[in-house]
Amino acid sequence: MSIYEDISALLQKGKAKDVAALVGQALEEGLPAKDILEKGLLEGMNVVGQKFKDGQAFVPEVLIAARAMNKGTEVLKPALVSAGVEACGKVVIGTVKGDLHDIGKNLVRMMMEGKGFEVIDLGVDVAPETFVNGAIENDAQIICCSALLTTTMTEMKSVVDAAEAAGLRDKVTIMIGGAPVTQEFCDSIGADIYTSDAASAADAAYAVVAG
Amino acid sequence: MMGSKELVFRALTCKTTDRIPWVPFVGCHAAKLLGVNADEYFYSEKHIVDGAVKAYEMYQPDGLPVLFDLQLEAEALGCRLRYAKDNIPSVATHPLESGKALRDLKLPTRKSGRLGVVMDAAKELVRLLGDKIALYGVVTGPFTLALHLMGTDIFYAMLDDPERVSALIHFCVSACKRVAAMYMEAGIKIIAIADPMTSQISSDDFVRLVSPGLVDIFAFLREHRRFSALFVCGDAKRNMEAMCACQPDNISIDENIPLDYAARICHPNGVSVGGNINLTRSMMFGTVEDNIRDAQKCIDLAGSTGFILSPGCDMPFDVPPENVRAITSLVRGNVVDFLEQVKLEEESVYKVPNYAEEERVIIDVMTLDSETSTMCQYIMEVVYEACRGLEHKVRCVEHKKAAKEAEIYQKALHTSVIPSICIDGELVYESVIPSAEDLRAEILRAIFKKQG
Repeated sequence: MSIYEDISALLQKGKAKDVAALVGQALEEGLPAKDILEKGLLEGMNVVGQKFKDGQAFVPEVLIAARAMNKGTEVLKPALVSAGVEACGKVVIGTVKGDLHDIGKNLVRMMMEGKGFEVIDLGVDVAPETFVNGAIENDAQIICCSALLTTTMTEMKSVVDAAEAAGLRDKVTIMIGGAPVTQEFCDSIGADIYTSDAASAADAAYAVVAG
Repeated sequence: MMGSKELVFRALTCKTTDRIPWVPFVGCHAAKLLGVNADEYFYSEKHIVDGAVKAYEMYQPDGLPVLFDLQLEAEALGCRLRYAKDNIPSVATHPLESGKALRDLKLPTRKSGRLGVVMDAAKELVRLLGDKIALYGVVTGPFTLALHLMGTDIFYAMLDDPERVSALIHFCVSACKRVAAMYMEAGIKIIAIADPMTSQISSDDFVRLVSPGLVDIFAFLREHRRFSALFVCGDAKRNMEAMCACQPDNISIDENIPLDYAARICHPNGVSVGGNINLTRSMMFGTVEDNIRDAQKCIDLAGSTGFILSPGCDMPFDVPPENVRAITSLVRGNVVDFLEQVKLEEESVYKVPNYAEEERVIIDVMTLDSETSTMCQYIMEVVYEACRGLEHKVRCVEHKKAAKEAEIYQKALHTSVIPSICIDGELVYESVIPSAEDLRAEILRAIFKKQG
């Protein structure tokens, strides 16, 4: 097994310390930071994401895998910077105004980071203007809105409207999700993409930036 | 003819019923029925009682929960809640995440949080409705309560420190039993343990961490001769066998688990099923017909043995009451009368005006929806352009195809074509978009005519 496969396997098990150590070892061996990221860390998160989508992995497994990825990325970051490796895209994410639920939003963030995105997490109870300003300030291609409540999901329309008002609508893709959200709702408010789970959200976001 | 309570009790214990029992999970929706804010409702014994009575009168249910609030125990144990005007409260802080240790937490009493208020309401509702319908005491399940207390850290702790999680869940099981005992003391016969967050963990974790506590709780309820239910949300298909093994009388699910699948697993285990009318698509945003169809589908899938018809979870504040009444009409066998009545109500609400008696000229525009259809957006722009400067003499009304009144107007104005424009009740343009000038000329003609 290659060191990349080892990193991926340990990440899938959530072994954060071991992942960090192995990433360090790979760097010492002179392996390219980009390969360590893509063939090791991101590959591991891809497997976890697929398992999540297939109903073979659940919230705890995703969280611990993402934590292991973050530990690995911390070690790798200086090398990535000096090699000029950039994120595949930028996303701003948050739970909409009036809604404090963050588990779903965090899962999407982690899955997107696991795809190689830079994700700016605006937290919970995020006003429509904050989404829009966040996207402008960070030059993000994607805005992701999460909601758990049937009453707060209507705030997603306000985000679409705010993006429109700011003249941003053609420049950003607005993705929405959360337990009560449906494709019909997405169509009715004029958002761009609805996905039913965090791993699918990351796949869809990747498809957006990959063109 | 079986009474409502008998229907629910028979269905709970997997017996056949004369008709399907119907238990709408009215929680904060009761506040809407009373015309009060949700935050006032959750704090008031009177509102909780009045809300359930109102739901009983309006919806003719066979059973109702006293309250549906999965934050009640969390608040009683030290979580800070944020209340909303038209929503359930949300947990804002998790005591075990912000410095407290498990040993600092005390089991809840009637004096903790709003528990006293809720139990007084339960007692009063038993007095008012207890002989008419089956009342449910809804208690937050141990895993969901543990998540409230520890926050998302619990998911990490499941791997890093499983003993800590076990100890916390053990504490939550004791808290559940305490609250269940309070409901029992108030005279409640059915205790529902609502543990929605268990759908987010694997079967192994469910069996290892949650099952022992649930077995304990359901044995406790059996010992006290109470009926029991386990409420879950989300796709918990994989946990169904394990949930049955905890031996509740009933498992209630949302639309993420097909009812026929649930019945196939539950019934052979002597466990009844409940559910699973879609809360968003049908109840919140659907039409009365959507709700009748959805409820009928549930009945077709689950059958008439060991089944209670209910929404997938707590009904949102803003569910239109006619959608709930639609489901009642199906259960009670009077759909035709109900639909006729709804039509009459709508016709009286959306009465087409007597144009000759109106002060201003009225322009009715039949569209798909000007917010989503570019063509309809354009036609509305033309209409507004044509009316510019005439606002005090003209009133424009857009009738979107999906809106309830559209059909009534189409009938009255003798047009079924979109787009079409009527001026003072006369069909002027059908399937064409006039220029603003032409339309303005027609409008001016109508103004002169009105002025005599």
